[in-house]
Amino acid sequence: MSDEIAVRVAGDCRRGRAVDCSDRSLDPERVVSAVRDETVDRSASATALSVTCPDPRPVHDHVGLVEPATSVRTRTALAAAARSRGAETPVDDDLRSVRADLADLAVPETPDLRAARRRLAGTESAVTECRERVAALRGRIQAHRDAGRDATDLEAELAEATATLAERETERTAAREALSMVRRKARTSRDARERRRRLEDRLANLERSAREHLVEAVRDSFAAAVATALRAPAESHPDSGPDADPIAVDGVTAALAVARVADLRAPVVLACDRFDSPTDAATWLDAPVIRVSPRG
Amino acid sequence: MLLVVTYSRAARGTLRNVCRTHEGCVVRRFGRAALLAETEFAAFQALRLREKHGGDVQIERTRPFNEFEALDPDVREAARAYETRDRPSVPYSNFAAGTDHPDPERLRGADLPR
Repeated sequence: MSDEIAVRVAGDCRRGRAVDCSDRSLDPERVVSAVRDETVDRSASATALSVTCPDPRPVHDHVGLVEPATSVRTRTALAAAARSRGAETPVDDDLRSVRADLADLAVPETPDLRAARRRLAGTESAVTECRERVAALRGRIQAHRDAGRDATDLEAELAEATATLAERETERTAAREALSMVRRKARTSRDARERRRRLEDRLANLERSAREHLVEAVRDSFAAAVATALRAPAESHPDSGPDADPIAVDGVTAALAVARVADLRAPVVLACDRFDSPTDAATWLDAPVIRVSPRG
Repeated sequence: MLLVVTYSRAARGTLRNVCRTHEGCVVRRFGRAALLAETEFAAFQALRLREKHGGDVQIERTRPFNEFEALDPDVREAARAYETRDRPSVPYSNFAAGTDHPDPERLRGADLPR
């Protein structure tokens, strides 16, 4: 049978459309990871776990694991469920083109503005200090000369201070130029970032309208699935009434109903007690199922 | 003031949150940018934003603009005269040609004093 799956746990292999592993204490998350990537958990042979099954569709990210604490973003999950059934929307062409534009958009790295700022910092005060030192020396030399004293040592000091001032000025100019060059480069990078941000905004808007369309496409099936899920045994649903908003049901019910609406290829990992047997679950969900015991 | 500009959806979201949480240091908000007060606390928030979002956050320091300090009178007078011109369709270069008003090319080439 084409949608038969195989679960191997430490040498024990179980096959079928509904595989019951509730007798083993398997972490549900671990089982889901193995569903999503067959090779992920082949570590120590004593506990190795692998699941052979078709590749999951994106909707599996939302409802691939259902456990008592499950909560789904119902609308997002429903949109993925609609996609799994091949639903299309009027904005799909735009979505493709914006995604392609985004993929093609090259955003240059921002140059190292920080280093350039750090280099410039302090160069101004260094120049000021040197200028003051030169002026002070000049004053003292003049005073020495006026008093008829020898100023040779001071003149040597002045020559040195003047040279240092020239160095500091050169460094300041170089640091300023370096920073403005880096700022020009940064502008190019920011132009690209700005374009990317606009595209991402547009993408988000398109995704929103696609989601609305997709949710609308499966709303009735979802409401029907919720209605039968609520009639399903095992747990009581105090919030449910005939007028209840199907979107506002508890997490487990919502996840199961989305899974029923979706066309799932990969198995749903079930760690909740909503069905009498894994086979019942697989039938209701119309999808392969791996039953595990809840964690903790 | 500190001008904080964001260049991604995530950075814009964080800026929004910072502005909401620390209204006291926000002078003005513009969608994906904000003017923050010139305090160390505001600078701290801006830096935090940049630590988180890197190149998607630009921080600049603005300074008050005083046209009486930064400009010669002819520029101020030209602005006033041009905005009260008789024919709204005249571009400034034509408006200034043959008058004492400054040439736009000269204005473009003249930086404001630091």
